[in-house]
Amino acid sequence: MSDPLDVLASGVHDAKNQLFFAETLLAARETATGLDLGEARYAIEAAALRLSRTLTAYRLMRQDAQLAIVPCILDDLCAEVALAQAKHLRAIGLELTVDCQVTDPWPLDRDLIADMLNNAVQNAARFARRQIRLSALTDDSGLVLQVEDDGPGFATLPPASSTGLLVAGRLAALHIRHELSGQLHLDNDSRLGGARFALHLPR
Amino acid sequence: MIDFSKSRFLVIDDLPQARDALRTIAQTIGAFSVEFASNYQDAIYRIRNNAPDVILCDYMLGEGRSGQQLLEELRRFNLLADETIFMMVTGEQSYEQVVSAVELVPDDYIIKPFSPDKLTLRLERIAAKKLLFGKYYRQKRQQDFQGALKTLAGLHESEAGRPYRFEVLRQQAEVLLAKGDAQAAESVYRKILENYEFPWARAGVARTLHKQNRLTEARQEIDRVVGGTPNYFDAADVKATICMAQGEHEEAQKVLDDVSKKTPRNYLRKRLLAEAATLNGDLDKARSTLADVLSNDSMPGAVTPEDRLSLARSHVIAGDLISAENLLVKMRDSEVQNFALDNQASFAALLAVCSPGKGKPKFVGLRPALFETELSATTRLDVMRAALSLSDPELADRHAEHLMSSPDAKKVFGAIRTQYALHGREMDFREIQKQVALKRIRHEETPAKPPPPAE
Repeated sequence: MSDPLDVLASGVHDAKNQLFFAETLLAARETATGLDLGEARYAIEAAALRLSRTLTAYRLMRQDAQLAIVPCILDDLCAEVALAQAKHLRAIGLELTVDCQVTDPWPLDRDLIADMLNNAVQNAARFARRQIRLSALTDDSGLVLQVEDDGPGFATLPPASSTGLLVAGRLAALHIRHELSGQLHLDNDSRLGGARFALHLPR
Repeated sequence: MIDFSKSRFLVIDDLPQARDALRTIAQTIGAFSVEFASNYQDAIYRIRNNAPDVILCDYMLGEGRSGQQLLEELRRFNLLADETIFMMVTGEQSYEQVVSAVELVPDDYIIKPFSPDKLTLRLERIAAKKLLFGKYYRQKRQQDFQGALKTLAGLHESEAGRPYRFEVLRQQAEVLLAKGDAQAAESVYRKILENYEFPWARAGVARTLHKQNRLTEARQEIDRVVGGTPNYFDAADVKATICMAQGEHEEAQKVLDDVSKKTPRNYLRKRLLAEAATLNGDLDKARSTLADVLSNDSMPGAVTPEDRLSLARSHVIAGDLISAENLLVKMRDSEVQNFALDNQASFAALLAVCSPGKGKPKFVGLRPALFETELSATTRLDVMRAALSLSDPELADRHAEHLMSSPDAKKVFGAIRTQYALHGREMDFREIQKQVALKRIRHEETPAKPPPPAE
């Protein structure tokens, strides 16, 4: 195991297993007692997401980064992001709406895109006043996945770089189809009045 | 919402703590019963004796086994109905690299940690899809290819089938291949590729080209896949098979040897490796690989008479006639009598070479049938070898000529030449080669699809 990626991956794997046991214990306790431990479970999932993101960042920044492209049903993808986030958002007074208008399956890296959208929703939640909208639609150029909020918008455009944005940009660029690559757009043109995070994937 | 209160779950994980966690999750979502399997063999035993409705299988099973291997083995022995839900559970994202490349995929996979809600959501989706494909699964099982294609065409046109468009196309290609229409299967794979460069679809194109005996094109396509997705091991098998058909046995052996080191318990691949090594003349490799298969492919019924015949064959070619004879005489008469004609002929031919006293009468008894019957290329080579060794040139030449005019010509060319040389009959070999070439030229003068060249 000489590759640092393997060492890192193995450590993340073990830690996520431990987090899985913890979440399972909480789920069992919820079933047994009727207590709502959703926020504790959310914290565990958020920790796992951070670990995944760190590993993903490392993996995608390497020269030999490879995606795992599978046909993905966008309805299902959006539903999973909503499932992971909506309850927590409600607990902090925010509402997440989902608007998926794409029926055909789309070739993409399902897990990395889902992580990226979860991350974008979490970021939006730091600034949103009341609402966040997750949407999937197609236009002439391809698929657009958007996270919009009703907060104050990005203070500067382009916004200051962060690991999350760097990874999202690289993930977009690695989605190549018919020799075109995906792009990340950040602006303040949210239909809700705040910031908009948009991932464009070519058709 | 599906009701899991009637569903029987099987949890497969080698780590007790992880098993408990998966059981808890299954109970939380209302499973009727949850059984455990702690290892690979135990899992197969339980699934064979009492197939569950839902399988939650960890990707890492310990002892060098993976959930993917288990899935492949279950399909190989037809132990997994299409209606059974197989969900792979994995700790990190690297499994998706596997899923995006392989042909045989689980219904879905889920990355730990996950909540009971998320598992429920995934299982409900799979159940909905299986309901939609239910009629197709039944038709496929009954080998009703026409019906299956009609059902898939209906799904392709329907609104409900739209999210599964790639899956429908992939299944269409598989049915067309099973039905023997390689050309139609090729165009379906190409239709998928127009949409996206999925490695499994590109490998599909290579397989269909191979079936059409368009070997150079098949090789170009599969080289692209192997080069682009080095962890797509099934593609290496396809490549090796094409290399063998092209007569490039050394390359076939090398490809399979490399992949086999990464998948040491894939015994179907090892059989392919042994075949390539035999054709390549690396008989030590062939024999050690087959010995490994015979002693370690542990599923009941996994080791077949063909495997023992393969090992005996590699002993014979290596000149180790004692080992070959020992192996062959251990096969019981009752077993041999139940062989299909191919295997009976191979058995008699191999025994005739290593022990003429024991094998010749049986071989001579079969002789009239050997002139008349369609036999596999491997058996024809066995018969040819025995005929050369028993000084029966008529029988030997008949099979040599047939092989050299067949689509297997390139694959077996080297083996035929070697055998003729061994018996001092190089001139006869050249004469056969010449006759086959003349026949081909005459055939080509009439407009028809030419058979492949012999060299």
